[in-house]
Amino acid sequence: MKKIGVVLGATMLCGLVGSQGFAGFFDDLLSPQSQQKQSQQGQSQATQQEQPDLLEGLGGLLGVKKKNVDLLKKGIGVVQALQPIGEEEEIRLGEAVALEAFSRFGGEYQNESLTRYVNLVGKTVAEVSDRPNLNYHFAILNSREQNAFAAPGGYIFVTIGLLKTLKNEAELAGVLAHEVAHVTQKHMLETIRRGAILANVSDFTLSAMNKNPEMFSNVIDEITDKLFTKGLDKEKEFEADAVGVEYAYRAGYRPSGLRDYLKTLQSQEGYAQSRFFTTHPSTRVRIGKIETTLPEYQDGNAFPLLTQRFQQQIKRA
Amino acid sequence: MKKLLRLLLVVVGLIVPLVAGPVFAETMYAKKDRVKVTEEKSPTSKAVGTLHLGDRVQVVKKLKRQYQVKLGNGKTGWVFKFKLTSKKPAGKSRGGSGLSGLAGKRVVMAKEARAGGSIRGLKETTEQYAQRKQISPADKQSVTKMEQLVVSDDELSRFQQEGGVGEYAGGGQ
Repeated sequence: MKKIGVVLGATMLCGLVGSQGFAGFFDDLLSPQSQQKQSQQGQSQATQQEQPDLLEGLGGLLGVKKKNVDLLKKGIGVVQALQPIGEEEEIRLGEAVALEAFSRFGGEYQNESLTRYVNLVGKTVAEVSDRPNLNYHFAILNSREQNAFAAPGGYIFVTIGLLKTLKNEAELAGVLAHEVAHVTQKHMLETIRRGAILANVSDFTLSAMNKNPEMFSNVIDEITDKLFTKGLDKEKEFEADAVGVEYAYRAGYRPSGLRDYLKTLQSQEGYAQSRFFTTHPSTRVRIGKIETTLPEYQDGNAFPLLTQRFQQQIKRA
Repeated sequence: MKKLLRLLLVVVGLIVPLVAGPVFAETMYAKKDRVKVTEEKSPTSKAVGTLHLGDRVQVVKKLKRQYQVKLGNGKTGWVFKFKLTSKKPAGKSRGGSGLSGLAGKRVVMAKEARAGGSIRGLKETTEQYAQRKQISPADKQSVTKMEQLVVSDDELSRFQQEGGVGEYAGGGQ
């Protein structure tokens, strides 16, 4: 009987919270994100801040134990953290990560012609991707180590060390397509969201980011740790390889470009300076997996490598 | 009664073929703004129209990389198939900028967000973060430069045509 009372009480609380808390939250997600939204978010946050008292008060009245009310509150946080991170929030995270990328990898490689060329190749791939309306930005980092990574929001980096290792434009397209795939598949966002659930962080709205610089800074630390040190899950890397090959094919480049670069990287294992060896799965396994997908793109074997165009650009660097 | 049934069958027989065409033809949507529709399979041939984000077309014929489509105005032309999607995109453009069709004030917010820091400089969160982490002005400037680099549709198209990539790959067929 007591259990039934607890369940009934919790159900009523859910109803009350649902009508006040969730309604505001989902309205936030669905409504235009504007100044009006920020004010709505402010109201929503105020409502959320009021919820604990409301929950505890009603919980007490209905005889629901504090422990159960706490569990319910935690549940609300988790449900909110499970909501996808919006595009504007994603871009804000990406812009801050971009700062860290320049700061940690030798700054910008100053060559306007080469940077424009990398952007042209990157945009050729991005416009046939599954998120063609995102504004992708490509930059070259002044680091001799071979590295490339994608921050949320379409901020994509490649080091001059990696560029100088490539043989042709198809290889560059393959590398950039792998990074674009991380963005389209929202790999980093998914990783952040999972971390947020574990840390019980529930609010990734613009106003929350503005109001809580410490929380924002912690999230950026988490992203940069994953990108620059630990790497993403192996499965996400394999997925980015497969989706990247598809994007390179759609963009009209020889789809074996990424595989060909990875073969070069594999041949340099042991002496080449690259974080790919620590942040990515085994190069041998990646090559093997890509090779199982290549037969699907037989007609792509006629697509260009563009060795000369690439070499003309890189020799000026 | 039999006459009535026959009449009904005749009417259904006449209506179904008329309705079936548009209903069963595959519908696709423009994945982005400014998608070129050309008279011939070659992307350099005369343009017959331009699709904007979310514009609907009926697929008439499928080749490996090009689809022949029927536009809303009844014209028929060819489109690079990877600029079409079978799933209706969330934001529907009213023509011009892809952002113009998005609802309400979100347009301005999205435009600013997509343009990166090029409209107002780095975002408030980024400025706060840079200060907190003592990021150098040079690195801040590099992010701004990265966001301000603009590639026009014409420049991208020329680049792709010269290399035989994008919609020009495989002879644009």
